[in-house]
Amino acid sequence: MKYDCVIVGAGPAGSVTGRFAAESGAKVLIIERRQEIGVPVLCGEGISRKIDSWGMLEGKRWIASSMDGARIYSPDGTMVKLSAEMAGNETGYVIYRDIFDQELARQAAKAGAKIKMNTQAMGLIKEKDKIKGLKVKHFDEEYEIEADVVVGADGVESKIGKWAGIKTTLKPEDLETCAQYTLTNVECKDAYCDFYLGKQIAPGGYVWVFPKGKDVANVGIGILASLSESGMAKKLLDNFIANDPRLKQGEPLRFLAGAVPVSNPAETTVLDNLLLVGDAARHVDPITGGGLTHCLEGGKIAGETIGMAVKKQQFDQETLSAYETGWKDAFARKIKRNYMVKELLLDFEDKTLNMLADSLKDVKFEEISTMGLIKALVLKHPTLLMKLRPLMKISSEVKE
Amino acid sequence: MGKPKAFVDRKKCLSCGGCISVCPQDALSMEGMKAIVDEKKCISCAICIRTCPVGAISGEVYN
Repeated sequence: MKYDCVIVGAGPAGSVTGRFAAESGAKVLIIERRQEIGVPVLCGEGISRKIDSWGMLEGKRWIASSMDGARIYSPDGTMVKLSAEMAGNETGYVIYRDIFDQELARQAAKAGAKIKMNTQAMGLIKEKDKIKGLKVKHFDEEYEIEADVVVGADGVESKIGKWAGIKTTLKPEDLETCAQYTLTNVECKDAYCDFYLGKQIAPGGYVWVFPKGKDVANVGIGILASLSESGMAKKLLDNFIANDPRLKQGEPLRFLAGAVPVSNPAETTVLDNLLLVGDAARHVDPITGGGLTHCLEGGKIAGETIGMAVKKQQFDQETLSAYETGWKDAFARKIKRNYMVKELLLDFEDKTLNMLADSLKDVKFEEISTMGLIKALVLKHPTLLMKLRPLMKISSEVKE
Repeated sequence: MGKPKAFVDRKKCLSCGGCISVCPQDALSMEGMKAIVDEKKCISCAICIRTCPVGAISGEVYN
């Protein structure tokens, strides 16, 4: 059986790519190694509300709760508040990622994409270095799938890029290693996402508390892999929960581990007959660790590019580079800028973070974004944040 | 006896894929939703051991 396009991974990037490729006329197969799309959940489950205007998700079943804002706590507990009232309600949702992923896969199937479960990619089929498809394994059965385009939507641990010769190995300083409990029996007194910073709390990362309902919250931690020791993320998270009066009586409904790239985007995301999307392409905001909006935005561009390539029957790098041009225009500058900000923040001692938080605690923010915070910081501390000033110029061109 | 190499405790692994993404030798892969080490490729750098958020990877001498 030959397809125009075989996609490895039925996460958000894979399903959205599949949907838009199928809608533009391509014959699409999505393979998924798991036995249920979206399960196990590997995610903090926060997303910006800007997805509303893209109209890619139907209904509301995937929404757990709508957020009114965010609070950031410095190491000494100084709080900086970003509230929706000030920001024209442009905040976000806490979602059910399993339902969210299944809704996106449903849309792909509706558009005509085929989905195969329990099917793992084992290698690329190459003829004289030309990619012709994929070797897969379905339980004990190994077989080949021919396709003009192979899409690597295979997440943080992506192998598709490596098999094709793209260097996607992450440095430990470019990976957040994560753990999260979904806790019940906790009191979520309002719809705010809380973020806790500090070298003792989460070296090179943060602890988050995202309310999912009135007595349920996702409580997680991400720490930089270069600052981690074996099992440290879970230990620090357990410690945080045990010392937090709001959380310590909580009981777990779910525990998960996670890994989030906090690097620059992959240099190459397009080759002859091959594309990388989502986490596999390192399309993640290096400050927040958020990647879902990029999966949706980038996946749509990837799918439309594949549709165009199928119409032309041209699958070379130059034809497919419409995808790379597209995602770079949409969010590459934002990721690169936030990578520079991440590097700078990592150099700050706890006392500097406390001082910065103290200077922002009474600011009324007009936008809820990392950019809003950075702008306010640069205005207040021009000398300290000298390195960030050139970024402001880039930022004026960045679409948040 | 050789140097200890990475060994994944399949009972503890939660399939986050972090170890696979940072392995400089591409010695780790996912098999049956658990990370697995190709001990012939492993160079005992221990990056994966330090990265694992739940302590599922240790150094073991393979026979």
